[in-house]
Amino acid sequence: MKKIRQQFAETVLKIGKKDKNIVVMVGDISHGIMQPFAKNNPRRYFNIGICEPAMVNVAAGISKMGLIPIVHTITPFLIERSFEQIKLDFGYQKLPVNLVSVGDTFDYSKLGCSHHSYSDLAMMNQFNNSQFIYPGSAEEFDILFNQAYRQKKINYFRISDFSHSFKFSKNKIKLGKGIKFQKGKDLTIICTANFLNDANLVSENLKKEKKTTEIIYLHTIKPIDKNLIIKSVKKTKKVLILDKFNFHSGLANICINLLKDLRNIKIESISINDFIHDYGSYENLKNKAGFSQKNIMLKVNKLFK
Amino acid sequence: MNIRKNLLNKDLRLKIIETIINAKEGHIPSSLSIVDIINFLYEKKIKIKSPNDDKRDIFILSKGHGAMALYVVLNKFGFLSNTELKKYGDSKSALGGHPDMTKIKYVEASTGSLGHGFCTAVGSALALKIKNKKNTVYCLTGDGECHEGTIWEAANIATNNKLNNLLNIVDVNDSAKQLMPIDNLGLKWKAFGWNVLKCNGHSNSSLNQAFRKFKNFKNKKPTVILAKTTKGMGIPFMEGHGRWHHKIPNEEEFTKIKKLLGFNEKN
Repeated sequence: MKKIRQQFAETVLKIGKKDKNIVVMVGDISHGIMQPFAKNNPRRYFNIGICEPAMVNVAAGISKMGLIPIVHTITPFLIERSFEQIKLDFGYQKLPVNLVSVGDTFDYSKLGCSHHSYSDLAMMNQFNNSQFIYPGSAEEFDILFNQAYRQKKINYFRISDFSHSFKFSKNKIKLGKGIKFQKGKDLTIICTANFLNDANLVSENLKKEKKTTEIIYLHTIKPIDKNLIIKSVKKTKKVLILDKFNFHSGLANICINLLKDLRNIKIESISINDFIHDYGSYENLKNKAGFSQKNIMLKVNKLFK
Repeated sequence: MNIRKNLLNKDLRLKIIETIINAKEGHIPSSLSIVDIINFLYEKKIKIKSPNDDKRDIFILSKGHGAMALYVVLNKFGFLSNTELKKYGDSKSALGGHPDMTKIKYVEASTGSLGHGFCTAVGSALALKIKNKKNTVYCLTGDGECHEGTIWEAANIATNNKLNNLLNIVDVNDSAKQLMPIDNLGLKWKAFGWNVLKCNGHSNSSLNQAFRKFKNFKNKKPTVILAKTTKGMGIPFMEGHGRWHHKIPNEEEFTKIKKLLGFNEKN
């Protein structure tokens, strides 16, 4: 399966052949796979080096002069380290930019806490002019990037090296619209990216108990598909949110706010509760953070009590 | 206290102080150290027809707290109305203690957090190179601002991308010296690969000489001018540092200021 990061390189290469306004800047990350773009567009490709805040800030200058910057590096360095630059230079100044990170919550599992990121949703969601796009497959990235990159907003693409295992028809993938992966009446699961695999496993488990699960898959968290979520939870009355973000201000919080006016519903969620300090495999860290199938089923069973 | 000899832009200085007193907000000494440089830029160097003109030169005031100096110069050259200037600090005003590009057409960047405007200038110069344009990007930073890490990150980016269309002027009013001294600021810029020039930031002829040298450089390096200035220039009791950085003069002090600028009560 093609990695989303590889697709990023291919997508910008293709766009760059037609759209001479795009400028790609990387912070010494993905430099190898960006070479086709670099060779085709030597004046519009920059490996800026290891100075993320300045790279983001320089992109603001490029943006203000009418070009379309695409800035790429590892998530915590692009978003957390450079946050004042994003806030002031793009948020306050209302300048458009495409920020493409790599590495989601557990991707760099063996590298330790400096490389994990799960607060980026809280940080990037606060701007009036931002979009939070979290493609779960290479194809989703390609379609969503093409839909968004020219919109005069802060388009943030969060990409992981771990895709989900499913394919959707292309016309179903629309910026800001969730996907009803599966219809059901007993439980709603809201999930993003490769947590779709986990949601699907829960659904398979529940089938044995003759219960059906409605899975709402979000490749865009901002704008969020409010109607799809509310309609589903109104029907099932039970919702589990698989939230790969910070407990204090992640996807669960966003969904709870959307659902606060519904009566007689039960909500459970799993989020990142604390700093992830450990090393190990992606699965090790994921399980330790509470996303093992066993723990997910405990939450599900709580909803059915 | 006597009027300083050869003091430039007395009218702009008075307007800076008057407007700040009326609003009870602003950085007078920082504005007085740069007003001659900004006036020189708009009078002699910057070519601009409209805010969206593709051929315009770009000026970014990176030390945003000197905003009032920019406002009075924009006002002088017809880019900002008297009515707007008088509303400074008011709830309905586009003008505040730091400039906001989303509110004022001729302001190129919203600055205030030091180190940002300079990086934006580097990005603007890079964009002009990408677009094959001949415009020049001018930036004005503080010497204290040179404490910021992003200044040096972006200085390196500018050198590596051969941005000889970029001129950064450092307002050397010795702010840095009283906070955390930077020895040999010129050598540091040189070490980062920049052409380094020095001048007196309160003298049009000295500024002119430095700008001429910048235009005559044949290499592909970005250029920095270290412009020696005095914080609070023209008002001796404000000059230097300390309590006047963000202080508003009272009525008695304002009377003295007017005399020092050569304006009597009738003016």
